[in-house]
Amino acid sequence: MMIELVNVSKTFNNGHKALKNINIKIDNGEFVFLVGPSGAGKSTLIKLLLKEIDPDDGKIIINGKDVTKLKRREIPYLRRSIGVVFQDFRLLPDKTVYENVAFAMEVTEASPKDIRRQVPIVLSLVGLSKKANLYPNQLSGGEQQRVSLARAIVNGPSILIADEPTGNLDPDTSWEVMKSLNEINHRGTTVLMATHAKDIVNAMKKRVIAIEDGTITRDDMKGGYGI
Amino acid sequence: MKLRTYKYFFKESVKSIWRNKVMSLASIGSVMSALLVIGIFLILVLNVDYLAQKLESQVEIKVHLVDGLSDNIIKDIQKEIEGLEGVKEIVFVSKDQALKEFSESLGENSYLLEGLEGDNPLSDSFVVTLVDPRLAPKVTLAIKAMSNIENVVYGKEILEKLLDITYFLRIGSLAIVGILFLISVFIISNTIKLTVFARRREIGIMKYIGATDWFVRGPFFFEGVLLGFLGSIISISLLATGYYFLSRYIEQQMFGLLVVSLMPFNEVLNTLIVALLIFGVIIGSLGSMISIRKFLRV
Ligand SMILES: Nc1ncnc2c1ncn2[C@@H]1O[C@H](COP(=O)(O)OP(=O)(O)OP(=O)(O)O)[C@@H](O)[C@H]1O
Ligand SMILES: [Mg+2]
Repeated sequence: MMIELVNVSKTFNNGHKALKNINIKIDNGEFVFLVGPSGAGKSTLIKLLLKEIDPDDGKIIINGKDVTKLKRREIPYLRRSIGVVFQDFRLLPDKTVYENVAFAMEVTEASPKDIRRQVPIVLSLVGLSKKANLYPNQLSGGEQQRVSLARAIVNGPSILIADEPTGNLDPDTSWEVMKSLNEINHRGTTVLMATHAKDIVNAMKKRVIAIEDGTITRDDMKGGYGI
Repeated sequence: MKLRTYKYFFKESVKSIWRNKVMSLASIGSVMSALLVIGIFLILVLNVDYLAQKLESQVEIKVHLVDGLSDNIIKDIQKEIEGLEGVKEIVFVSKDQALKEFSESLGENSYLLEGLEGDNPLSDSFVVTLVDPRLAPKVTLAIKAMSNIENVVYGKEILEKLLDITYFLRIGSLAIVGILFLISVFIISNTIKLTVFARRREIGIMKYIGATDWFVRGPFFFEGVLLGFLGSIISISLLATGYYFLSRYIEQQMFGLLVVSLMPFNEVLNTLIVALLIFGVIIGSLGSMISIRKFLRV
């Protein structure tokens, strides 16, 4: 079991109950969509997995470790085992495509030799080998998102989490990104993607977990988006 | 931690200093002025100490005898003083000898003393040197208690005044240095705050891709240390140059007139470099640690 949430609840400081008694199990190598209306609690769930916030109670187990029990200084190592991408790409504007990806390895003190070997591999995986020396503002939205995908996987995480990765993209470029995500999943990385993109969810025929108002309302192995 | 990580910290901190030129200059300037004042006080204290030490090692007790003693009595007194604890050497200077030395010390002005040979106003005396200058008060008291002694003098007053001066110098400099120290720390922490603000995007990304706390903080810490270091290098150069020319000037202008000189340039320089570098780096790292703690909650 890659990810397991047991009776997880989260109440924010203002008293808002964003998640109520959530139970989820995600296996090694699965591709899972997380859907639900705005404000349902999808991003909150992702923040819990990254230990950006802590639950009121319950267990969150990732790669066999209870994340809620991790010490502060262990958090960076948790995050190295989980790649993340966001709706807004979060690339550094003054670094090239290559440098943006390499940066993720530099941060983990990888050797220059490993960096020189690994970065071209992930850039070709997302189809951006030819754009390595361009800056983010010289790329289309889809390309920028694929750079951030490359950065998320360059350290070889076992899990990739994407929070509305196609939220800022038109349908065509969205599919470029989905192809890359699918490719990454085929190579063995577990993928969890929160999204509002109905077409994509319906076409991909993957497991769908639906959340509404902080509770899980549906968990279909080959489901579509729903209503 | 790996060498290339330090290189990365260094590169990033140089970049920030360059990008943030105005605030960086202000920081370096404030560290520099604080260290200049610290350095000037340090030089003063060093020199007064130096002077006091020189004087202390030169302490000798002058014992003036009442006029008209017979040679025998003088010999008795000499034996008695020699017998005191702590006396290293005792030399008899007759009043004729004293007059001759005095007249020699006046050089071409010695005509002032002409005609005094028959009616010498000076007295016979002993010059007593001690094994330890700190015994001077005790030995002085003992000699004063003997008979046929006119008076006993040693350089006590000057020495004590000097020690008083160093005391006030130390207290005064401590207060001023403390204030300047705090101002510099504040300005540096403000500069680092700006850098943290300018790079908050990057910091956020670093956290998501699994950078450790110290990795995120490293460049900011280095930036503060570097600012403090640059400030101290500049202040050391200014002070060293100033001291070099001052001590040369004094030597040339007042040659022979001063009993004691300034502390040698090299000795001052060594202390100055060590003290100001340490101060500068402490100011810098304190400044960056304050902002890192306040503005970089990773
Ligand atoms: N820091 C916070 N403090 C208080 N309430 C919060 C906080 N973060 C989120 N919430 C609330 O928790 C609920 C769930 O938010 P969340 O961001 O998880 O929704 P979401 O499912 O990701 O929505 P969207 O699809 O619009 O991204 C919302 O009602 C939101 O207002
Ligand atoms: Mg969200």
